[in-house]
Amino acid sequence: MTARTSSSGELLRLNQVTLRFGGLTAVNAIDLSLHRGELVGLIGPNGAGKTTVFNLITGVYQPSEGFVSFAGRSLAGLRVNTIAGRGIGRTFQNIRLFGGLSVHDNVRVACNLHRTASPLQGLIRLGHFRRDEAAIRKRTDELLEIFNLRRFRDAPAKSLPYGEQRRLEIVRALATQPQLLLLDEPAAGMNPSEKVDLVRLIQQIHQQFDLTILLVEHSMKVVMGVCQRIIVLDYGIKIAEGTPAEVQKDPKVIEAYLGEDHGTSRAHH
Amino acid sequence: MPRPHLALVLAIAASIAVTLFSGSIDAYLLDVAMGVGINIILAVSLNLVNGHTGQFSLGHAGFMAVGAYLSSAVTLNLGPRLLGEDGGAAWSQGGLFALALVIGGLCAAFAGLLIGIPSLRLKGDYLALVTLGFGEIIRVIFQNVEALGGALGLIGMPAYTTFAWTYGCVALTIFTVGCLVNSTYGCGFRATHDDEIAAESVGLDTTRYKIVAFVIGAFFAGIAGGLFAHFKLTIDPRGFDFTRSIEIVVMVILGGMGNTVGVILAAILLTILPEALRQVSEYRMIIYSLLLISLMMLRPNGLFNFKFGSRRP
Repeated sequence: MTARTSSSGELLRLNQVTLRFGGLTAVNAIDLSLHRGELVGLIGPNGAGKTTVFNLITGVYQPSEGFVSFAGRSLAGLRVNTIAGRGIGRTFQNIRLFGGLSVHDNVRVACNLHRTASPLQGLIRLGHFRRDEAAIRKRTDELLEIFNLRRFRDAPAKSLPYGEQRRLEIVRALATQPQLLLLDEPAAGMNPSEKVDLVRLIQQIHQQFDLTILLVEHSMKVVMGVCQRIIVLDYGIKIAEGTPAEVQKDPKVIEAYLGEDHGTSRAHH
Repeated sequence: MPRPHLALVLAIAASIAVTLFSGSIDAYLLDVAMGVGINIILAVSLNLVNGHTGQFSLGHAGFMAVGAYLSSAVTLNLGPRLLGEDGGAAWSQGGLFALALVIGGLCAAFAGLLIGIPSLRLKGDYLALVTLGFGEIIRVIFQNVEALGGALGLIGMPAYTTFAWTYGCVALTIFTVGCLVNSTYGCGFRATHDDEIAAESVGLDTTRYKIVAFVIGAFFAGIAGGLFAHFKLTIDPRGFDFTRSIEIVVMVILGGMGNTVGVILAAILLTILPEALRQVSEYRMIIYSLLLISLMMLRPNGLFNFKFGSRRP
């Protein structure tokens, strides 16, 4: 770690975070630090604890030991929705859209964090409430426009093609105006050309929305192409950290990650 | 004036107009129409909880009972004191009735809050059973409080409930629930229904949404109870048992969960149906039940859910 002077730019910090489920240690004494504006990859074989780290950051799980802090404040004991309100947006490994709601409403509902009119004003529906609603609808439409989802505006989210659903989930997370965006395997189930588009999309939102992004990904191609820094987990332990080039050369990573890959390809032959 | 408000004002004006001519309308028809109106309020308010928010409550009749008893207590106790022996002028009666309805609604809402906070931690079947239990507890309490008539119930309420009061409240209920559900805030009810984890991840407090839905639903059930008490002029605890709750749930399911128009139509149909079957009184309940079973089998997503066909891939 570099000197403390850089800690002013630190956005997220995991300090010796451990999570145990009974006898199983899912995440073991992980240190992790993200600086504002970074785009960092979190990789590792199946069951390495990547999604668990996301769930620890977003408050789905509370750490057994250690702490998570965001923008200099501890997240200990906070509920999932409060943490989202602090500025952490996320997507899910298995897409979790509001299937019955329209595409527009999926994004609109995520604007609730920045709603200024109270629901009671909705019954009188004058002045402030109408301006607030109109502003939210306009913002929602703009977001849909940027991500090319405007044509599905009124369709139920569950009727969208798979790739568009993934995109909609990212847009929904962006509508909460997060400072940190956690993407959980956004390329899962995509074909190679869709993956290329996705890489472009991640780079676009990283710049356009002035975001810090932590990306969990299985596809090495996606991670190596887009991330500035990569953290490698195996069996709940951080085994390596560095630039894509450094990580690729790290013998521990090759053994844990690529080694497993060799193993499976051998089994296929 | 915004469109929903215009519709609300027109609806209330229309119901007042009907009341002015109520002398020339068949008394039986008017009775059925008021029963329909009360059931619409119950079904639309329960739809907010069971349909939109997806929390299966089986205790709606309990909240209706709270509204019925408390509003009756207001008119029976305050009425003679405030209005004098002769019953007072029409406008002061109206004021008293409005006060009684609001107090009944607020007490029901408070009961909803008390019951909602512990029970909404549960989901699905468990929530249904707990709300059923609480609904019965409310009924048993009324059955055993002598001051509220005990098992005999309350009698002698003034006949304040007119067509205008009933349909004015219907219009207000539909308007309030409609505005709420269509607002950005209200999207959260349906989001909570669809996926709680995702809803929390975009910053929605799902527990709070469930409680708000429950409390608002209970408030309107209380209003419906108040209207019911001053329409039937006699209430007793047996009128609010769980079969009443189930009747309302059936309206919501038959109308298509979360579909306001469907739920209103279902409430109308299920209130008129038993009346229409009076000619064949011996077989009335059998035919009614058979119709329900076949409707559920033929239209499982709701009788009036017209999107059903196009939704299939």
